[in-house]
Amino acid sequence: MYTITHAIFGYFFLLLVVRVLSRRPGGQLTPFEFVIVFLIGGLIITATVGDDKSATNCILAIITIGLMHRLTAQVRARFSGLSHFMDGVPIVLLNRGRWHTQAMDGMRLKDDDVMAAARTRGMRDMSEIRYAVLERVGTISILSESDSKVRQEEIETAGNDAGSKHSE
Amino acid sequence: MNTETRAVEDSIAKVDNELAVGEDLDFQRRWWRFEKWIWRFFALLVLADIAGLFGRGPLAKAQKHTPDGAMHIKYERIERFSTPSILTIQLGPASVRKGTVHVWVSSSVVDRLGNQRVIPAPSQSEVVKDGVIYTFPADDVPSEIAFALQPADIGLSHLTIRLLDADNKPLPAQDYLNLDIFVMP
Repeated sequence: MYTITHAIFGYFFLLLVVRVLSRRPGGQLTPFEFVIVFLIGGLIITATVGDDKSATNCILAIITIGLMHRLTAQVRARFSGLSHFMDGVPIVLLNRGRWHTQAMDGMRLKDDDVMAAARTRGMRDMSEIRYAVLERVGTISILSESDSKVRQEEIETAGNDAGSKHSE
Repeated sequence: MNTETRAVEDSIAKVDNELAVGEDLDFQRRWWRFEKWIWRFFALLVLADIAGLFGRGPLAKAQKHTPDGAMHIKYERIERFSTPSILTIQLGPASVRKGTVHVWVSSSVVDRLGNQRVIPAPSQSEVVKDGVIYTFPADDVPSEIAFALQPADIGLSHLTIRLLDADNKPLPAQDYLNLDIFVMP
């Protein structure tokens, strides 16, 4: 009984703490954040399992957490507004040469965090970035200026084709 | 075989009419305010814990004594579930009757507060209605009795400790103490 109530409480408490810890624990895991995730997990295990080291207790705790996860996923799928609370929303960090400073400060991110993500896309400096978006999972998506040019050319080409067909 | 399908809609809010992100800055600003308050709340919890509001700190420790000094009890008014602690009874000369000390402790000491052992071991333990009577030889007075507790139930527990005479009859009314102990989950 205690294991189940502690597992349910632990699941939701951990969800809240990880959610307010900022977006990054699940995304770009630095050693600093690695410590937090494992330490919190270890502490929750202690309170959940207690002195009962039996296999019954272990299995029940795992099943309870699994059920909580499934239930939460179902509720989240049914009520889209709830996913905002649980997963957060994507946030634009950089838009065509302008930093969104409130977003950067609010998410405690620095320019070099964005540049680190840009380098993984083979970019050499900030001027190549058209959009930087902090995703719900904590990763930073980078769209380059060249991506947009290609896209723009595709749109224009499609428009010209449609126009020429129309004139025919 | 028919496969259910649904038309792709432009349901994700765009930035500059170009990039579908689904950004919701109003929500995010509310969330940042919530984060600010929740961290203040967490900081208060930590300070309250250091002070002992949740047990194992200065505010959790308490003492009570009888007017005649026969008993002086040191205990923790806030305990934690399944966490060991010590309740001590310091006995004064007024507690001794015919070379022995007889202490009646309400059954909650075992049922709810999970008494593990009594130090020193009593010469006699007798389970009676609503409690346990412990008898100790009183060679050296003042002396001290310790109860090693490990709470087995969450919530408020009432504990009564009373001195008895040599025939296990209650001593005058002032020779008992009521303790309220709250066990944190």
